[in-house]
Amino acid sequence: MCWGCPVVDFALSDEQQLLRDTARALFTKECPPSLVRDAFYDVTDAGPAAARAFHDTRLREWAALGDGPLVDLALFLEESGAVLAPGPLWVSAAWALPLLRAAGHTEADAVADGSLTATVAVADATGRWEPGDHDECWFVPHLGEVDRVVFLRSGPSVLVVDAAEVVGSPIEALDRTRPLARVAVPAGSTSPVDPAAVADATDRATVGLAAELVGVGRWLQEATLAYVAERVQFDKPVGSFQGLQWKLVDASLHQERASAAVAYAAMCVDADDVDRASAVHVAKAAAGGSARHWARTGLQAHGGIGYTWEHDLHLRLRRAYGGDHLLGDADWHRDRLAALLLD
Amino acid sequence: MKLSWGPEEEAFRAEIAAFLDEHTPEQLRDGRDWIGEEADEVPQWARDWQALLFDAGWMIPAYPPELGGRNATPLQTLVYQEELAARGVPRSVHFGGYGIVGPSLLEFGDEAQRALAPAAIRGDTVWCVGMSEPDAGSDLGSLATRAELDGDSFVVNGQKVWTSYAEWAERCFLYVRTNPSAPKHQGISVLILDMDTPGVEVRPLRHITGNAEFAEVFLVDAVVPRSNLVGELDEGWRITMGSLAHERGGLWLEGVGYAQRALDGLVELARDRGLAGDPVVRRRLGELHEEVRSIRALGYKGFASFAQGSSAPEHSYMKLAASELRQRLNEFGMDLQGAYATVTDPTLAAQGGRFQAAWQMSLAATIGGGTSEIQRNIVANRVLGLPRG
Repeated sequence: MCWGCPVVDFALSDEQQLLRDTARALFTKECPPSLVRDAFYDVTDAGPAAARAFHDTRLREWAALGDGPLVDLALFLEESGAVLAPGPLWVSAAWALPLLRAAGHTEADAVADGSLTATVAVADATGRWEPGDHDECWFVPHLGEVDRVVFLRSGPSVLVVDAAEVVGSPIEALDRTRPLARVAVPAGSTSPVDPAAVADATDRATVGLAAELVGVGRWLQEATLAYVAERVQFDKPVGSFQGLQWKLVDASLHQERASAAVAYAAMCVDADDVDRASAVHVAKAAAGGSARHWARTGLQAHGGIGYTWEHDLHLRLRRAYGGDHLLGDADWHRDRLAALLLD
Repeated sequence: MKLSWGPEEEAFRAEIAAFLDEHTPEQLRDGRDWIGEEADEVPQWARDWQALLFDAGWMIPAYPPELGGRNATPLQTLVYQEELAARGVPRSVHFGGYGIVGPSLLEFGDEAQRALAPAAIRGDTVWCVGMSEPDAGSDLGSLATRAELDGDSFVVNGQKVWTSYAEWAERCFLYVRTNPSAPKHQGISVLILDMDTPGVEVRPLRHITGNAEFAEVFLVDAVVPRSNLVGELDEGWRITMGSLAHERGGLWLEGVGYAQRALDGLVELARDRGLAGDPVVRRRLGELHEEVRSIRALGYKGFASFAQGSSAPEHSYMKLAASELRQRLNEFGMDLQGAYATVTDPTLAAQGGRFQAAWQMSLAATIGGGTSEIQRNIVANRVLGLPRG
């Protein structure tokens, strides 16, 4: 195994610290919980419109991070994941953009500067996230919010289509903050792409999604710790009970593992390190597992209020489980890790 | 973003790696957990090994040469700990002297006591540490072994338990109660006890592996000169374990190195047993792989804070995580062997009975050095800031 590990690199540089602070300030100020909530409940269409406006005016420009180090993109996506920021930034910047770059597509620059957004269609009806020849793609994120669809096909090859020209239908799903659709694959000639570049794009998308999940877990942890400190039963804050404390400690350990694993994977991808393959699987497995762990534990610790739509916890529970199941759930990634050990 | 060390660290790594490859005693090779031999004294090969490390400046690298080191930087110390951990090589077969007593004497002792430190670190003097008592385990602060000052001497009465290496030890770093009327953490002192003092009796205590590394130590009117008091009277609680502050950033590496070697052994075992294609076995190995790697990443993340002089809450999790993982790894090593899991004969069991022995030893990992329950309490209160019960 590699013992020469990225010790000092775990510390954020001044620029990275600034990036994180800027992202936090942006989301705190302009993406309040009400914005996300209103978009979710979608009563008058004003809610989704406000969320779209936030994405269009404030988030589009950040797609440029997709061309830079994955460490930086992951930092930003952790923040956007924590607040469930609306819009297709993750799929556009972390997945579609590297695929468009790999294909040498003329619109890659437009996706990078945010004037266009794009999603990726790859999975088949059985939920396999591998390029194939199937005529319908499933689990396509944010279809109704993007300008282009990048179909990843066997070869591997890509077919880039104007989103207005595809025939898609929404899939009613757990996490409405990340809408999913099924899409008929249109006719058209595909362009071949380097398999290594496709693998790189998949790694970026996977680590980016894992970073979002770390943000989701972090929000759940912070909200839960605050709640158990103030909720009083039997004349004591419930957070003082050891039976509850140990559950919270175990979830927080999972969260710490996930956060470190995601940072490590991003560094490995940036350096194209030998540890890269396993690091990406570890990151997604740990982050999906931790977000789910915190969703369950957080809900239990909140008691009845956590089970209602009065509280924002359920929005993160949806994203935690929804996110874990996109691009391979924790068990799928563990099986890939076993393959790296055994095959 | 770089994923490599600088040339200075690489040169340092090459030097310690070459040293370990050349000099590690046979008994400590192949990542074996050294199970103490039934011996009345520290085996000569173990004494030689520790002395060699000291003389070469590889015992505690951050210390100066006269204390067994070479004035290493924190990053070099981490590289050193990595190379030991990767091989599973211990510096000593008795941790207390170099890990607790030597550094504590240097920090809290008077001139005469500080002079005892080099021999403690080199292993020339074997020490045990008398902390736990029958009624003071996790609640160490309630220890009751009594030392009463009588003129220029303390008279000590009481009992210690789970005392490692007491049978070998020439001296004991003894925690005693000197002021029973003070609040419990304020009436404790530390004494240096010669183990051949009249009134000191050591009874071996066989632990679950069958080995008698532990002992009970009984003290009946044992007389200790007042000059053997370490630090101030009643201030002993400050003299806490593990004063190797410069090594704290990498202490977790031992557990992670252990886990990685155990995982390698599990992979070999799964293949040998024809289970490499079994989906349940594969899922479990994948899960363990995830845990080992993510815990390792967490350790390095903590080191990055440590090296910058910040506190590293990550490290509060490491003992808890590594010890529980160690048990799961070894228990899975038993499960992979079917009925052979029950066979402890090293000539019949897979990999010389490695997992059978390691599983038994791992049962101590969640108890010794602060139980997992105490670790969870520490994280709950100090890291998560949860209200105290």
